[in-house]
Amino acid sequence: MNRQRTGLMMILFVGALALAWLTHGTGVVRNDLSRNIYIPDELTMPLQVQVAYNENLIFFHFRWPARNAYVYHDMLRYEDGTWVRHGASRAGPDPDNTYEDRVTMLVDDGRVPDFGRFGGYITIGANARFFTNQADKAEVAGHPHLGGTLGVNEVQKHLPATRSDMADWRTVVSEETLQQQRDAGYFLDLWHWRAGRSNPVGMSDDQWIGEHRHGDSGKAPFSTNWDSKLKQPKYMFDPARTGQYALRWEDVESNRFDFEDIYYLSEDFAVPFDPSHSWVNGDVIPRRLLRIGDGSRGDIRVYGKGRWEQGYWNVTLVRALVTGNPDDKAFNEQGLYNLGFAVHRDATGSRWHYVSLPCTLGLGRDADITAEPFTGESPPWTDTWKEIKLFYPGQVNWPYLTSRAHAGSVNIAEGVPVHSRHTEVQLALYGVEREFNSEIIRQWIWTLVSGIVLMMALGIGLSLRLGRYNGGVR
Amino acid sequence: MTGVHHMLVHFPLALWALALVMILLRTLTTGELARLSERALVPVLALSLLGALAAVISGFLVWPWEAALSSPLTRNHILMALWSTSLWAVITALIWLIGSALWDGIGRWVMLVLGLIASCLFAITGTLGGHLAGVTSFFSIILDSLGWTVYETFYLPSMSLVLLFLIGGIMVVLGVTGRKT
Repeated sequence: MNRQRTGLMMILFVGALALAWLTHGTGVVRNDLSRNIYIPDELTMPLQVQVAYNENLIFFHFRWPARNAYVYHDMLRYEDGTWVRHGASRAGPDPDNTYEDRVTMLVDDGRVPDFGRFGGYITIGANARFFTNQADKAEVAGHPHLGGTLGVNEVQKHLPATRSDMADWRTVVSEETLQQQRDAGYFLDLWHWRAGRSNPVGMSDDQWIGEHRHGDSGKAPFSTNWDSKLKQPKYMFDPARTGQYALRWEDVESNRFDFEDIYYLSEDFAVPFDPSHSWVNGDVIPRRLLRIGDGSRGDIRVYGKGRWEQGYWNVTLVRALVTGNPDDKAFNEQGLYNLGFAVHRDATGSRWHYVSLPCTLGLGRDADITAEPFTGESPPWTDTWKEIKLFYPGQVNWPYLTSRAHAGSVNIAEGVPVHSRHTEVQLALYGVEREFNSEIIRQWIWTLVSGIVLMMALGIGLSLRLGRYNGGVR
Repeated sequence: MTGVHHMLVHFPLALWALALVMILLRTLTTGELARLSERALVPVLALSLLGALAAVISGFLVWPWEAALSSPLTRNHILMALWSTSLWAVITALIWLIGSALWDGIGRWVMLVLGLIASCLFAITGTLGGHLAGVTSFFSIILDSLGWTVYETFYLPSMSLVLLFLIGGIMVVLGVTGRKT
């Protein structure tokens, strides 16, 4: 009897440990769009990159896997007399397939301290857009610089020194200091290819990061096709040139398109909107009107055609090595540059992207990616891809990373690069846990206590049984 | 304090490894070495616990408390350190309280199983400490293949917690009930 009870206790103890092993890590991490939480199914993805340059131009060739291509973006659907918007920024994937794929690249020439060591993490300040604790839009709109001068209502990517206190987005330094920072090259160039808003017209958007994410000077490859007073589009498809007035919702909703057909609205085949046309439910007009960008914003073009085939996007971007524009980073022979890549796929926008750790680009010198020099017009691509692992970064910002709450803040202060302490997989897992930090700490404390209680209970039970059976506890 | 912690953890590491060998000898053999092992177990385990206590205290001083709580690896390291220390404390108490009679019958096998589990927990603790120091080990790959990535916090869902407390209660009841005075 005593032997059986002892054996039963051991079975229960081992069973409890097995239960703990089999169920650990469950019950907390779940999507909660009300808190801007959506965890992608895959936390990492590959990106392949090649770079080549000739006397005047530099070419970046990107290739990445995507189950589907998403090229529709920001659409207006006619429904019972009103135009309903689909594809505005939201948490997680767009349910209507109306959010475009993107590939982006941050570029620095060494004049942004820490970017080469910590990459895009330095651009994520406090209360950023679509974080659970994102800043109140009305408060941002009321900020004298962000709302007043820039006319924005969200805290987006920005560089640490553009704030006197990086932990407080409100503390933007003076306009004079911001200008001095720009003059000193303290900004990141942002190459921003968009599958819906730039690719169809062979363009990439061109932006830069300073105290906010800005568009370069000049004309963007898209404009907003919406008359807010009349609550209708400004332009529609030219039926004479396209044979149609609008797209159809059933095509958009099912993500049905043909790269060689009409799936976007461009100045080349748009005419002023005709409200007297007999619009029917399900007619769709893109809320973005595409055009050829110009000025500094139109510097980057798609070389060839950006296409998705057999599960992969293939995109090549080309730009002058030296644009001469103050909002671009120039590339020079013997130059060494820091790059950070990101990909948006699966109809997600804003912070639901996969990012890279920083890597170096060398022109005529060794680096993580060594650009291949060539003469002539077309880059002679060889099979020399640089494989880069991208990861979902979660809600991790620079104020946290540099605070006492991050054990590695001392390493950051000493300039130890992120990749010497963390892998991409590790950062992805940490990023997810950060989104549930308080809940996980609570469960962890209870787990710790329950395990100790279990062991103490086993000790009490065994001492009573074995002590009794074997002559009594002394 | 990091260096001090690294130094101190070697005391329980070495002593608990020795204790496991002694438990193995006492469980599986009956000769002089087994009797020697039995006599030496209590002082070895007591010294181990003192070393573990010093290691745990110094470990808590390595990083600010908020940093330790925010790091999944550190959380795991703390949990496994306290679990392994608790289980070795239970083993120590049983050997000390029951004495030679413990090694008769089923008791010796109970000690062997508990010693192996406690050693396993402490090996995980050391592996996690290695990760925190920037030195990863093959053992974490084994853990990963068994279903736990060490970069994810080891925590249980509420239902499992309830069951663990319940099982603890049942074990106490099993010990108390039917006990002759």
